[in-house]
Amino acid sequence: MIRHLFTLIWNRKRSNFLLMSEILLSFFVLFAVSVLLVSNYYNYQQPLGFEYENVWELSVNPGQDTLNRTEKVSQIMRRLQSTPGVVAVTSTSSNTPFSFSTMNTTQYTYKGKGGPLTERYDADDDMVKVLRPKVVAGRWFDRRDAAATRPPVVVNQKFVEKLFGQESPVGKVLVTSDGKEEWQIVGVVETFRSGSDFASNDPAIFDRRILQDSAVLGAYEMPVLLVRVQPGSGAVLEQQVVKDIKDISKGWIAKVNTLQENRHDKLKIMLTPLIALGVVALFLIINVALGLFGVLWYNINQRKAEIGLRRAMGATGSGISAQFLGEMLVVTTLGVLGGVLLAAQFPLLGAFGVETPVYIMAIVLAALLIYTLTAICAFQPSRIAAGIQPAVSLREE
Amino acid sequence: MEPTLTKSALLPDAAASISLKNTPMIKLLDIEKVYQTDTIETVALNRVNLTINKGEFVSVMGPSGCGKSTLLSLMGLLDEPTGGTIEIDGRSVTSYSDRELARLRNHKIGFIFQSFHLINDLSVLDNVELPLLYRAGLSGKERRQRAHAALDKVGLSARTRHFPSQLSGGQRQRVAIARALAGAPEIILADEPTGNLDSVMGDEIMDLLLGLNRVEGTTIVMVTHDENMAHKTERLIRFFDGSQVS
Ligand SMILES: Nc1ncnc2c1ncn2[C@@H]1O[C@H](COP(=O)(O)OP(=O)(O)OP(=O)(O)O)[C@@H](O)[C@H]1O
Ligand SMILES: [Mg+2]
Repeated sequence: MIRHLFTLIWNRKRSNFLLMSEILLSFFVLFAVSVLLVSNYYNYQQPLGFEYENVWELSVNPGQDTLNRTEKVSQIMRRLQSTPGVVAVTSTSSNTPFSFSTMNTTQYTYKGKGGPLTERYDADDDMVKVLRPKVVAGRWFDRRDAAATRPPVVVNQKFVEKLFGQESPVGKVLVTSDGKEEWQIVGVVETFRSGSDFASNDPAIFDRRILQDSAVLGAYEMPVLLVRVQPGSGAVLEQQVVKDIKDISKGWIAKVNTLQENRHDKLKIMLTPLIALGVVALFLIINVALGLFGVLWYNINQRKAEIGLRRAMGATGSGISAQFLGEMLVVTTLGVLGGVLLAAQFPLLGAFGVETPVYIMAIVLAALLIYTLTAICAFQPSRIAAGIQPAVSLREE
Repeated sequence: MEPTLTKSALLPDAAASISLKNTPMIKLLDIEKVYQTDTIETVALNRVNLTINKGEFVSVMGPSGCGKSTLLSLMGLLDEPTGGTIEIDGRSVTSYSDRELARLRNHKIGFIFQSFHLINDLSVLDNVELPLLYRAGLSGKERRQRAHAALDKVGLSARTRHFPSQLSGGQRQRVAIARALAGAPEIILADEPTGNLDSVMGDEIMDLLLGLNRVEGTTIVMVTHDENMAHKTERLIRFFDGSQVS
């Protein structure tokens, strides 16, 4: 019977080819959608690499006041550090966790090897106390770095993987491609996915930039402070903090957000296109299903005489339905196989920087979806086929 | 279920089959068939009592619409009567399940249709193998051998790789006959087997059926519109408006 199925399918290759192409195309589209959904889900499952609970973001806007900015910000930081309820304070660049700003560069090279696209953050010694990234090799910045000959940097593991491979990175010197600037790696953190819960694990580098020591805020630079507070701190502390800032800076505008709120806002904005995509994908799937359903329905109506004949020759109703499901299974499998061959090129070529397990999961998901879809679409028509009476064979068309 | 499944098909000499002549093969008792559509009720068969004996070659005639095809579909277990009992080889099939009916059709009955009903996407050989596909316990090799043997009997062993569209009408009907023979049935039901053929080809087909009946003792019921054909058979039954008239 299986041989017979293959003979039938082979002899009907022209019409089956169309069906197979439809399945292959649908598989491919579902694969693309799956990659997006799976990779987002995959990222969502990964650790962020820092702790955002009980961290506040203070945006300080000096407005027209350009006088002694650096000094005033340092003074604010010292005041905050001594405020009861505040655990630690760090000053950083505007690309804080869950913000809408990014600062990336490819300037870091190692022994002539170009560096990956890397997100760059300003950091000071206390950032490790505020965001608590997990240091896995070397150490975080501290006082010792003030005397360093080369500016110290901390990188994440992804950066190490891209630039050093298996080599140990601590102590290595990074240079710009023109050789004018140099940095020394003092430590490695595990991951740092600050963009959003859906951000992929990209290379990151932290530059030591201490306001109190040497750095001077540029004329248009907005100081951003991150403050870790004691769990349970609320409005009272927030008012205190804003008041302190105003006292010191005389008229600067200060705004407090929790990172939790920022995360939530970012998540909403990231989810919107994903939901839209999901809806589009759903319509697509319905479309594919209707198409398949129509083709199968048409097929069975075309083959009523054949079905009647087979029944007259001794096929049972369930035998007929099994034959149709079997044919559909073979054609679907051929289509899916073609689709998998195409889809497998993406992980093989390492395209789009998506991790291989994501591609594999997406392939499995797309294949499952296609099989479910064809099973659903083939079910009703094959039941109809099973119900066709053998007597139709005696009626002439 | 039937221990003597292919007995008569395996009996080569005519004398042996003639001795079976008085045992009923198909028996219709008070058969009634009413087709019920939304508004119209058509009585296709009205209280038909008919016995076809083993090894008989019976032809059925009658005007169009008198119920000949309906009669054949009931004898072939393709449809159920609305009243009455059908007995095949001495057993009533009234309580048979779909599976049992399918099995009986497969083992006992071969069909030949006016418009051949070959599957165009299958080769001649694959078409002839069709009834054997639905028979358990046959290897691919056995199926092939039987199909070749059946094609040999109808003189088409040179055309096994052809497709139906590459054959003439007479050749197609011979393929259909080979298909009916492949399963070695005791009964062949033929609904106007020569209806779509010219008289020369029709005679060829008729000779094949006559030979089959004479040599293998196959019971044959044939619907025809051709008096000449009908008179070549042992018995002629006439139908009019759902009832047997002679
Ligand atoms: N499936 C059906 N539904 C309703 N009526 C039917 C059906 N099949 C047959 N009939 C009716 O039953 C009657 C007998 O039909 P049948 O096909 O047996 O005639 P027939 O003797 O074979 O005619 P012909 O010589 O034209 O083939 C006709 O009146 C026909 O219209
Ligand atoms: Mg008819």
